Amino acid sequence: MGVNLKDLIPKTQVSLHDLTGKSIAVDAYNALYQFLAIIRQPDGTPLKDKSGRITSHLSGLLYRTSNLVEIGIKVAYVFDGTPPAMKEVEIKRRMKTKEEATLKYEKALAEGRIEEAHSYAQATSRLKDYMEEDSKRLLELLGIPWIQAPSEGEAQAAYMTQKKATDFCVSQDYDSLLFGAPSLIRNVTISGRRKLPRKAVYVDVVPEVVELDKVLNELGVSYEQFVDLGILVGTDYNPEGVRGVGPKTALKLIREHGSLDGVLKHLEDVSFPVEPQRIRDVFLHPRVTDSFTLRWLDPDVYGLIDFLCRERDFSEERVKRALVKINKGIMEEKARTTLDVFFGSST
Amino acid sequence: MFSVKMTDTKLLKDMFQAIAILVDEATFNVNPENIQLRAMDPSRVAMIDFQWPKTIFDEYQCDQPQKICVNIAELLKLLRRTGRDETVQLTLTPDTPKLQITITGKYTRTFNMPTLEPQEEETPTPKITFKTEAKATTEGLKQAIEDAQLVSDHVRVEADPEKITLQATGDLMGATIELKKGSDALLDLQTQEPSKATFSLSYLAEIIKAASATSEIATLQFANDMPIRIDFHQPKEGKLTFYLAPRIEVE
Repeated sequence: MGVNLKDLIPKTQVSLHDLTGKSIAVDAYNALYQFLAIIRQPDGTPLKDKSGRITSHLSGLLYRTSNLVEIGIKVAYVFDGTPPAMKEVEIKRRMKTKEEATLKYEKALAEGRIEEAHSYAQATSRLKDYMEEDSKRLLELLGIPWIQAPSEGEAQAAYMTQKKATDFCVSQDYDSLLFGAPSLIRNVTISGRRKLPRKAVYVDVVPEVVELDKVLNELGVSYEQFVDLGILVGTDYNPEGVRGVGPKTALKLIREHGSLDGVLKHLEDVSFPVEPQRIRDVFLHPRVTDSFTLRWLDPDVYGLIDFLCRERDFSEERVKRALVKINKGIMEEKARTTLDVFFGSST
Repeated sequence: MFSVKMTDTKLLKDMFQAIAILVDEATFNVNPENIQLRAMDPSRVAMIDFQWPKTIFDEYQCDQPQKICVNIAELLKLLRRTGRDETVQLTLTPDTPKLQITITGKYTRTFNMPTLEPQEEETPTPKITFKTEAKATTEGLKQAIEDAQLVSDHVRVEADPEKITLQATGDLMGATIELKKGSDALLDLQTQEPSKATFSLSYLAEIIKAASATSEIATLQFANDMPIRIDFHQPKEGKLTFYLAPRIEVE
């Protein structure tokens, strides 16, 4: 999902350790869907507690967050609010994909094709309300701030990064850039590797930083033109994009004709699910909020053990191991100073 | 037009290696007299202040001041191809944004690599009143830091009029390392008042290890809970100085 600009975007590989002391605004839905897709047993069944509630997302959230905190990265999660009305087409498309995948998964499972079942299962992930509530509860117990976006989480994360409340946005989708995120990090994973779809093969995944300034510079377009380019290629609000126009053609067209309007005058038979101007508006003037506070607190150890081990059947040993990492990160954070403090007056 | 030639390619490689410890994309300020770089690492815990006068080079040509930014690790990869008795020439002409690296010796090869958008932000100098100044051999420092690294990932550096003490306390083990004034390791020590501060050993070790390849003597300056400044003495008015922020000791 999200806009496909992979081939056009200049990026710099970084090590997570380069991010020590930095704060990141993580697109929570993006992360939770990843956990729900990946954290599954070999036959595709997600992790569950004794009463059948799915816990894959909690497991992912706990371990990823504790790994990041250990390194000294300050994490904040941004949750989606109400999606813009025109996202309906994309949401329906996703629902349909999931329904199809569910049927295929059940068939594969019944016929004993375990590997195939696993891969179909990954595409069935749904984020239920209770999962979101559980996630927020876990974050509060961990002392990690979460922010409720009025609309798109990526837009809110981009806004917070523009306001320098956070240093980076974290998402796998490039849409954050269309929302004006000055800097985006992709591939913030724990394991440093990712399974390729439908293959028992893992590829090394290295975190990469994408800076909007550099992107615009490299492509030779303005931010507004970049948004137009995204709309030509296809966004969540017009998933199909313009037929026959890939990223490279889109860039060429925008450079030639200056804007989406200019390009559309030269193309025939182009249709959009909604007025293109409305899509632009969502990116250029997204619904975001200033009412957010970022405070990192010490974890509530007893609360965590109660919730994860007593209520959700996590192993106490694993939860404690995660807590050790978090405490190490917090101690380290308190000990760290930067040179900035010493640029001022002499003491 | 910027062009420099250097026959001491080992020094060139060692110096760029020392810069690479803190910086990925290095923005050099070059002018007709010298080449400078001042930058912090991404975490802003450490800073490098580097300057080489034109006389360090065998040939030096620079028409006007300019900023040149390169990926230092990539440049090092190319420079590592130089063997003994070979010469390196770095050239940047106004015609192309690519830096040319020519290695001559047994045979000649010319590489080119992109220059990057220079960093415009200038790094200021920390303002610190130091209370202790010590002159040490880089080899002695290197050994002492390696000792401390065996037991911990940070070290407290403490000075009294007679000696410098490095105190490392790990989860299980500890180490006390004493450098006496006038010993082989500690050539000189001036203390206005007892000073102590704690530093990350990973930074300290990497800095000292890399910089000691370019220098045999270093001057350390520090004070209570202030950054440490380490000057690695360079020939011909060259300068290689590091600042490292202290850690706050939480008990």
